[in-house]
Amino acid sequence: MDFFLGGLTKGLGLLAQLDPEVYGIAWLSLRVSLSAVILAALAAVPLGLLIGQREFPGKRFLVVLFNTLLALPTVVVGLVVYGLLSYHGPLGGLGLLYTPGAMVAAQAVLAFPLITALVIAAVTTLDSRVGPTALTLGATRFQAAWAVLKEARFAVLAALAAGFGRVVTEVGAAIMVGGNIRHYTRTFTTAIALETSKGEFAQGMALGFILLVVALAVNLASHQLQARWK
Amino acid sequence: MSNPLFSLRGVVKRFHDREVLNLDRLDLEAGVITAVEGPNGAGKTTLLAILALLTPPDKGRLFFDGQEIPRAASQLTAWRRQITLVAQQAYLFDTSVEKNVAYGLRLRGLEQTKRDARVREALEQVGLAGFGARRARRLSGGEMQRVALARALVLRPRALLLDEPFANLDPTSSQVFERVLGDLPNQGCTVVLVSHAREQAHRLAQRVVSLREGRLTPGLDRG
Repeated sequence: MDFFLGGLTKGLGLLAQLDPEVYGIAWLSLRVSLSAVILAALAAVPLGLLIGQREFPGKRFLVVLFNTLLALPTVVVGLVVYGLLSYHGPLGGLGLLYTPGAMVAAQAVLAFPLITALVIAAVTTLDSRVGPTALTLGATRFQAAWAVLKEARFAVLAALAAGFGRVVTEVGAAIMVGGNIRHYTRTFTTAIALETSKGEFAQGMALGFILLVVALAVNLASHQLQARWK
Repeated sequence: MSNPLFSLRGVVKRFHDREVLNLDRLDLEAGVITAVEGPNGAGKTTLLAILALLTPPDKGRLFFDGQEIPRAASQLTAWRRQITLVAQQAYLFDTSVEKNVAYGLRLRGLEQTKRDARVREALEQVGLAGFGARRARRLSGGEMQRVALARALVLRPRALLLDEPFANLDPTSSQVFERVLGDLPNQGCTVVLVSHAREQAHRLAQRVVSLREGRLTPGLDRG
């Protein structure tokens, strides 16, 4: 019990003292994970909308494929992105390996199938009259698709929140392509892994507690947005 | 017949190899209320979907005001903006009554002052003045259908298509529909309604067209 209480007290202490290293880690974690979710959503939301709304040969296979990709281990994604970004890899010339940019790329790859699968589910379960109603009122096909997205907004927002939850808590990809460099690519999860390996369990617990506080803040903001849209 | 707004020539529609509509020739006169009657599965709703440009026919040609409707889906918006459909159980967007009614006007880029005035006028027309701020989904079934009617009327369409407008309506809403629809031909609006409510449909319509198994029944065409 002391282990948990110690971690909690230390975490609160670090927050209260405005510890620059902890706030730096929090800021980087937020920046990387939010950027990754936005990047993934730019592709995943339109794709999910398209797959969910249209009927075409191979649709069922695509849906099963995206659902399967949800089980993709983070280290595998890390490995693939590492391979792409490494010096001899096809994207090695970008010089992104061991930078926050590489972490954003890896986390976006992780979030993409999850957001796509959840948007497909949201659109498929939505009332099928939304699109035709918009069209009969004079919408273009793009405006009708936007109407569908607006009607499914709560489920789409939940998909984005789930995507954020997936990437902000992952450690495998972030450590492989980010390298856990202090003051540069160290996020909550990579720092927790480091502290644990050093035997600094209380410090690890403290960081875990702060990660939860950050996730709570992001989810509260998302709920506020939902309330405003009601 | 003079001046048809809709003209259908050799229109055929199939669903899964089953022919649901086969109309050799059908003209729907401008400024007239036409009722389409027929048993379930006669092709009435399919006809409305074709007229609303939601479903393209597999064969045949469709003319609107003398001009042939193009086949390409990307070119249909300008045509659709002259035609509006009120479905049997209309879908209302999950927002306020006012935003539902204003939706089509926003798409057309009408400025807010004019939009607000038109929305108010349409809501008054269907007896829902003062309902603007209410959540559309929390209204009764009849009120929701009246919102859908206001959302169509506010666009001042050249053609208004109604699928079973009197089904599941409370007496007040039914009266509102009859009053509003009866007045539309005077405003130059062409109305096509599909209805099982024979008495109301026959009372309102200047012409009644009968469909049986997707084909016109000439002997029953009244008007």
